[in-house]
Amino acid sequence: MTRIFVLAEHRLQKLRDATWEALEAGRKLAADLGGELNCILLTDNAAGMADELAKECPKVLVVEDPKFETFNSDSAMKALAAILSDKAPFMLVMGNSNSMMDLAPGLAVALDAALATDCFAFEVKDGRPAAFRQMYNYKVNAKVSFKGAEKIVVTLRGGAFPFSSGGGAAGAVEKIASPVADEAPRKRFLNYVEAEKGDVDIASADIIVSLGRGIGDEPDMEIFESLADAMGGVLACSRPIVDKNLLPKYHQVGTSGVEVKPKVYLALGISGAFQHVGGIKGAPLIVAVNKDAKAPIFRVAQYGIVGDLNEVVPALEEKIKDLKG
Amino acid sequence: MDIIVCVKWVPDTSEADLAIAGGAKDIKKDDLDHDINDWDRFAVEEAVQIKEKVGGKVTVVSVAPEDAEEMLRESLARGADEAFHLWDDAFEGSDGYAVATILAKFIKDRPFDLILTGTLADDDCSGQVGGMLAAMLGVPNAVLVSSIEFLDRKVKFKKELEGGLYEAVEMDLPAQLSVATGLNEPRFVSIRAVRKVASAEIPVIDCGELGLDESQVGPQGSKIQVEEVAMPPEGEGAEIIGGGAEEAAGRLAEILKEKGGIG
Ligand SMILES: Cc1cc2nc3c(=O)[nH]c(=O)nc-3n(C[C@H](O)[C@H](O)[C@H](O)COP(=O)(O)OP(=O)(O)OC[C@H]3O[C@@H](n4cnc5c(N)ncnc54)[C@H](O)[C@@H]3O)c2cc1C
Repeated sequence: MTRIFVLAEHRLQKLRDATWEALEAGRKLAADLGGELNCILLTDNAAGMADELAKECPKVLVVEDPKFETFNSDSAMKALAAILSDKAPFMLVMGNSNSMMDLAPGLAVALDAALATDCFAFEVKDGRPAAFRQMYNYKVNAKVSFKGAEKIVVTLRGGAFPFSSGGGAAGAVEKIASPVADEAPRKRFLNYVEAEKGDVDIASADIIVSLGRGIGDEPDMEIFESLADAMGGVLACSRPIVDKNLLPKYHQVGTSGVEVKPKVYLALGISGAFQHVGGIKGAPLIVAVNKDAKAPIFRVAQYGIVGDLNEVVPALEEKIKDLKG
Repeated sequence: MDIIVCVKWVPDTSEADLAIAGGAKDIKKDDLDHDINDWDRFAVEEAVQIKEKVGGKVTVVSVAPEDAEEMLRESLARGADEAFHLWDDAFEGSDGYAVATILAKFIKDRPFDLILTGTLADDDCSGQVGGMLAAMLGVPNAVLVSSIEFLDRKVKFKKELEGGLYEAVEMDLPAQLSVATGLNEPRFVSIRAVRKVASAEIPVIDCGELGLDESQVGPQGSKIQVEEVAMPPEGEGAEIIGGGAEEAAGRLAEILKEKGGIG
């Protein structure tokens, strides 16, 4: 019986969404693999969180240790390796959050487990799981097998497993003594650093003209500014534009940038990686201009032009000015 | 500060029209340009900048086929002191775990304070090698590192969390950090710099020389296996506005006006 363990994630004494999504995926895997479902909570103070999890999970294993007030991959790796070392066959499920990305690879080595990261779906055939994930700039889907491994770690694509409450009887909460009580972590959290705020707030803009790497290495930013002006909108961008210092970070749309909820989103030279699209909320009209007809952005856009920005953008500005009269 | 930077040679797929290869185990790569993985370019630059500030040595290493020599040479031109090319036909088809195994074997007997890599590679999008390598070598690690500073035998860095939030973290050395794109501005490599390293020796080291058994590398040494690749289902998709740029732009302007995209 393959046991399913779900690793809870929390920040500031609150469970994060990724926890519930992992529980959703874990439930399905437990049903398909016929194993028991357990949740693991590493925290300094389980109050509230353990009970919240127990409402949705038959058994919650809790380790309380001051080291786990904030996420610490070094201590978490050692604690989980100790807890799970004799539990094979198992599958450990966690979000692919930026924190868990610190943990999963090292933990897989410590457990001698097979690891698939950023999975968006699973399939179980003849009692063997396979994972679906993306490759090649997120343009290709791949099915990955674990070569019959008895210990498997998977991390989940954010948003791929929307949670629905299971109801049922509350599960048991079992406390485990901290396996790392006497260990000094080699990694220490100091403080949070908030995002820098700027002169525009793209989060509240209705009309957004968003620029991606397709604008080239030395773009003439003025043509985009004047297009945005003509549309009465603001400029936003994908991550590479910020990396190149073409626009400040507070213009970046995406999971590591700002969440926007405009009425209209014009994507220029943006491929449409999920970390970018994940920052576009609500149900805006998405329009994309891209020279690659297979760019993923065209899957989420309602309208598109397959063409070169250098030609389309000036023409578009002119036509918009014409229409405005 | 002795820094080892691990870099990857990847096909440039961001703008290419991708096709699935026969057998559907991978995409067709023969016609694709290859280059250093974007994230790793920032890792090389960061290592060189640290060396310029505090002194030390920068070693660049890659598990990559012959063509990748170009990438290693360019890293030397960027300011790395030495480069090593780990390759053997047996390495073909290695997953992140097998690559980390190869790198760990190479690094094990070398002194280092810091290992830098990119957070993930644009080809497999896995983000496994840095953390696995750290665990194999018994040092702490972090990914998505967006600034680095050194205190006495410790490193202090900023790590990117979601939604624009960061955390400041302190870690003991030696350590492994996987960097985020944008933590520096990779320098422009001058022709002079390229010429200077044109004849620098870049040792190629194979499986046997590393002291690895063929069962530890390639598909055999891998923990996961790609069974099948496919282009994602088309779904609804966008209505593509045809015609030349002029005509399409005109139609798009009308659509924008109609849907409130002109304020
Ligand atoms: C942990 C993590 C967090 C991330 N967070 C974010 C985030 O918050 N926001 C974000 O945006 N990304 C984020 N990313 C990066 C993301 O995965 C993509 O790499 C990024 O979104 C790609 O940006 P892009 O579309 O501008 O560039 P590319 O993917 O390089 O796409 C450029 C596009 O431009 C097109 N193009 C090129 N030239 C032209 C031309 N002349 N005319 C028309 N089209 C052209 C190409 O066909 C291509 O589709 C994150 C990644 C990770 C791992």
